[in-house]
Amino acid sequence: MSDKGHHLAPVSPVEQRVAALEALLTERGLVPEGFIEDVTRRYESEIGPMNGAKVVARAWVDPGYKERLLADGTAAIAEFGFGGPEGDHMVVVENTAAVHNVIVCTLCSCYPWPVLGLPPAWYKDPPYRARMVREPRVLLAEMGCPLPDEIEIRVWDSSAEVRYLVLPQRPPGSAGMTEAELAGLVTRDSMIGVARL
Amino acid sequence: MSTPLSLADLDLPRRNGELAFDAPWQSTVFALAAAVVEHAFAGDREPFRQQLIAAVTAEPGRPYWESWTAALEALAQTLPE
Repeated sequence: MSDKGHHLAPVSPVEQRVAALEALLTERGLVPEGFIEDVTRRYESEIGPMNGAKVVARAWVDPGYKERLLADGTAAIAEFGFGGPEGDHMVVVENTAAVHNVIVCTLCSCYPWPVLGLPPAWYKDPPYRARMVREPRVLLAEMGCPLPDEIEIRVWDSSAEVRYLVLPQRPPGSAGMTEAELAGLVTRDSMIGVARL
Repeated sequence: MSTPLSLADLDLPRRNGELAFDAPWQSTVFALAAAVVEHAFAGDREPFRQQLIAAVTAEPGRPYWESWTAALEALAQTLPE
């Protein structure tokens, strides 16, 4: 393990385990020079919620695209060139005035990485995974997304077979905006369904 | 043994105010899994995913990236010498 400089805390057991893994896998020739840095940068900059935001903005301005997106999410998202192993079988669920959708993965934190980037920490926590199924209205309110009783909440449990993406409602006051400007309004949380725009 | 300390020095992008990783070891173990998937399984995520499900199921309350680490350790044991 490298010297952490000013960090006084000792290296934690899990850090030691990860370092051992890195040494083992590098020795096996599975980790090319610079691979770790490249992957991390790619996920943090190129692949991220902006991909999903572009999809949402297109659906807001192009009714034909929206129709294709809701009919076959995987194919419509692939029109942007977004896809890959974790983006197979994408199903897009549309929020309306009467229905609010939210996604969760109770099994193992499945997440549509190609469109949303890396999952936020809370998405992977057991309390979110359990409570979003059991008491979504209460949890959404706690997360800053209170919904009136007349709005139906639909919870979509992701799986190896299907990954979900929420199509948020286009926010009021955005009538004159361009597609690129609209994409800038779309947040990751709105596409998970724990926020409304 | 070097760890990607450079990551800790980067101005990591925040999404909705939240960092994607809480510590460098988390991004390292994430990338190590990507390396194994790509270079040992020709891009097939399924073997790793099965280990992750098993790791999460074994200790549901364990922090996510620690389960991820356990899954990668288990998968590494299955690799040919």
